Amino acid sequence: MSMRPLQVGDRLISFQHKITRDQMIEFEYVVWNRGKNSHSDIEAAKADGLTQTIASGQNQMAVVHQLLEQNFGDAWVYGGKISLRYIRPVHEGDVLTPNGVVTEITEADGKPRVMLEVWCENQNGDKTSAGTASAGQPVAAISWIEKEARPVA
Amino acid sequence: MEQEADVQIEKREVWDSIPVGDDLGTMDYVMTEQMIADYRRVVGNPRAAYPTVAARHPANLFYRKYAKIMRVPNAGHDSQFFNPPIAGKRIFVSARVADKYIRRGRPYLVVEATAKDEDGRLIEISRLIGMARPVGLPAHADLARKWGQ
Repeated sequence: MSMRPLQVGDRLISFQHKITRDQMIEFEYVVWNRGKNSHSDIEAAKADGLTQTIASGQNQMAVVHQLLEQNFGDAWVYGGKISLRYIRPVHEGDVLTPNGVVTEITEADGKPRVMLEVWCENQNGDKTSAGTASAGQPVAAISWIEKEARPVA
Repeated sequence: MEQEADVQIEKREVWDSIPVGDDLGTMDYVMTEQMIADYRRVVGNPRAAYPTVAARHPANLFYRKYAKIMRVPNAGHDSQFFNPPIAGKRIFVSARVADKYIRRGRPYLVVEATAKDEDGRLIEISRLIGMARPVGLPAHADLARKWGQ
């Protein structure tokens, strides 16, 4: 995680994430069981006018979320804001790379606020989602994990 | 294509019938350790803070009221994150139709959900930008046509 304050033009440290069929299916069942749909079932996808299943938009959101968590720590998790549009379908086997570039440093409540352009691109370099995000300057703390590790009194 | 657009216009009465500000009610559930662990495994992120990303609060509450007449395939999300959910705590979600508009001849609905836990901690406010599609029309027909799916 970057500890130095970000500046305009800085690019976030990224990673690659492969979308698999199993992951697409399971994503529809964790936390909220949505049953069969165009993200998890080929017949449902066909009924929706598609020839193959597509990854859900929230699946891409999870990847961008990870990018911001890893680069901003608590500054993202406690107060992050994102606006993302899903612009191209993502399929099983696609490899997504989330990206973030600092566009502006503003101030909110007397503290610096990092404004970013964010997007995901696939293995062909095509953007699959795009938008903006903002958070405070990165911090080392990942206190949500530290709290989980703390023994219950 | 024109025929389908005509059908969409005809069926826009369904979209017309859903008012901005419409209360979509509330729901609650316990975010379990298992849910958090499963989410982290599925997304390949062992530190993921917000399993609620997969909970789709806005869509969840929208469909409890409108599943029989309207689909809202996901065109985007606007979200603010305040405090990660804590395992074992009950999450209370409320939602409403925050906005609706026509863009490029297509109707959209914006559904906003607010999630707090049982202690009153604000977890997230999430807005689903949904392409409003009457039940009975292929929900992803536009996408299929655009991208040759």
